[in-house]
Amino acid sequence: MTGRILSEIICRNETMKVPENIFIELKQLGIGYAKSTSGTCILADLLSMQVKAGEIIALVGRNGCGKSTLLRTMARMQSPLKGTVFIGGKDIKSIARLEFAKILSFVSTEIVDIPYIRVSELVSLGRYPHTNWIGSISGPDKAVVNNAIELAGIGHLRNKLMHELSDGERQKTMIARALAQDTRIIILDEPTAFLDLPNRYELLRLLNHLAHEMGKTVLYSTHDLSIALHESDKLWLMASGTVNEGAPEDLIITKGFHKLFENSDLYFDMNAADFRLRRKYTGHIRIEGDPELILWTSRALERIGIKTRDEDTGGTSILAGYQKGSPVWSLNFNEQLQTFFSVYDLISFLKVVQINN
Amino acid sequence: MNPVNAPNIPGMLTHHPMKFILFPIMVCLILFLFMLDILTGPVPIPLKEILHVLFAGDTSNPVWSTIVSDFRIPKALTAVLAGAALSVSGLQMQTVFRNPLAGPYVLGISSGASLGVAIVVMGFYPLFVQGSINPLSVWVQIVAAWIGAAAVMVLIMAVSLRVRDIMTILILGVLFGSAATALVNILQYFSHQSQLKAFMVWSMGSLGSVTKEQLAILAVTVIAGLLLAIFSGKMLNVLLLGESYAKSMGLNLLFSRVVIFISTSILTGSITAFCGPIGFIGIAVPHLTRMIFKSSDHRLLIPAVILAGGIVMLLSDILSQIPGSDTVLPINSVTALIGIPVVVWIVFRNLKVAAIR
Repeated sequence: MTGRILSEIICRNETMKVPENIFIELKQLGIGYAKSTSGTCILADLLSMQVKAGEIIALVGRNGCGKSTLLRTMARMQSPLKGTVFIGGKDIKSIARLEFAKILSFVSTEIVDIPYIRVSELVSLGRYPHTNWIGSISGPDKAVVNNAIELAGIGHLRNKLMHELSDGERQKTMIARALAQDTRIIILDEPTAFLDLPNRYELLRLLNHLAHEMGKTVLYSTHDLSIALHESDKLWLMASGTVNEGAPEDLIITKGFHKLFENSDLYFDMNAADFRLRRKYTGHIRIEGDPELILWTSRALERIGIKTRDEDTGGTSILAGYQKGSPVWSLNFNEQLQTFFSVYDLISFLKVVQINN
Repeated sequence: MNPVNAPNIPGMLTHHPMKFILFPIMVCLILFLFMLDILTGPVPIPLKEILHVLFAGDTSNPVWSTIVSDFRIPKALTAVLAGAALSVSGLQMQTVFRNPLAGPYVLGISSGASLGVAIVVMGFYPLFVQGSINPLSVWVQIVAAWIGAAAVMVLIMAVSLRVRDIMTILILGVLFGSAATALVNILQYFSHQSQLKAFMVWSMGSLGSVTKEQLAILAVTVIAGLLLAIFSGKMLNVLLLGESYAKSMGLNLLFSRVVIFISTSILTGSITAFCGPIGFIGIAVPHLTRMIFKSSDHRLLIPAVILAGGIVMLLSDILSQIPGSDTVLPINSVTALIGIPVVVWIVFRNLKVAAIR
């Protein structure tokens, strides 16, 4: 008896060891959908990527580039057109349905609208692959559900009805449901879409916690690039049918983002470490003074199409500084000196007069 | 890890304290209405005599005995079975199609039953007159309705093997139903008055035409359908989230569709075959039950809907017998007059919910 249990434990440990470092592997994967009349529409092809256990990966890309399709293919919700997805060394096609539901959980963008269902009940539905035919929630199940609710930060909502919640609270409830499913992989399709800024960071902190402390593998798609840059071990940058992968910083250094913004007015500003709209400048202004004021004034000027520089070439110039603790801008325009007490007033004036060189 | 300091809510999915009060109330109500239904009828029979028939099996007046045991008890039992069957079928359809206005008729099953009856009563009438089968006999009609319902069911099954999208199946069900109704109309146009009347009487619906022998068959089929429905409770719960979530949590979509459609076809098909098409119970009762129990948990709702369906159907039957007169209204009209206000209320409530969002 003891021997059997022991061998079972060993067996289990061995199956845990099989994934080793590489947990998910895509081999020559082609994704897309079948067209009703003429064959298939391939969104991306020859994708070969690897995911290590306990990694958090952000998938970014333009609308319609196939992000959701890739996630759905990896979650086995649609079949690949070519190639294979391996999880823990096994082709996902060969994994039994309930077994797969215990390995991978999915949170979609779909808004769930159910009359009269409590948050705790909805989260309990996540136990589906673990419960018996009638779906009774036993003691250990309850503990998992409670833990999921607390992790998602919705403990105060547990007895609320779903239709009383805000979109953000619903999204968190659906994530708690995925946590209750208790899987080693969680795939989330645009989980930050309905959330405000503090909630987005809270969610990302949760995903980081799941990945780095609990060893879960987290893969999420997002349009929020600054979140993706800060809060992921690896970025999958999807554009024109391929995926560029690397640490966010790698992709910045190798200018991987350029591909993402082809045919758009956005570019990645290496100095500001942020995305900017490409603009046409109609004039130049020299600016000097307090560095902090220079930074914010430059941004405002950029917005109205005026480029700033620091070398003295004559013409219009601004001196930004503090007088008695409050900011003051002195504008030298056409040999006349004018004083402004806010960026807004300065910009309003410059919008009216033409700045040329 | 966040500390789990919130109280551990006992029961989780079955956390509905009201059920301990509501279920006994419903059982008492159904017993009371059952007695009241037996008590009402064109022939006034004292309560004491009815109790004699029920418990002693005998009474001073043999005519009363016959009326109670051969007509009123089978009719009241049929009412309970019909109410339970149609309501559970409606609940299943509303969950599977995620549509609050879905009922047992959306798959076109009762239209198939109507077509079956129309074909034997009106279409093949001349063929039957020569032979030994009387097309106007109740048994022939029942078998025809059964075959018609089963034919549509097989068609729907064949479609759902090929079509993934549940909404497409809903639309095809409605179309099959319309096609069957169109064929019935054509048959009506070409048939004689006596055949037309026989068909019209069937289509108005009647709980009273079910004999003791037929009742046994009806009871067996309805109970089989209800057992399948209870078995589908866990699948229905997870289907509340929609098919893609259900699939990601390990539900076998095809299997669940087959089980639920067979259950609903048996329930709707046999009630329609024996009692004719009875409308609106299947839409209204699940909504009333959800509202009373404030729950979407099918493991609670299915037994509750069985009781509520029985209650509403008994009430309809009592109301169809105008007190102090021989006139009995068609049951179909009574259920429509009770059910339509509920459906109107659902539509308005949905509008209100949509306006808030």
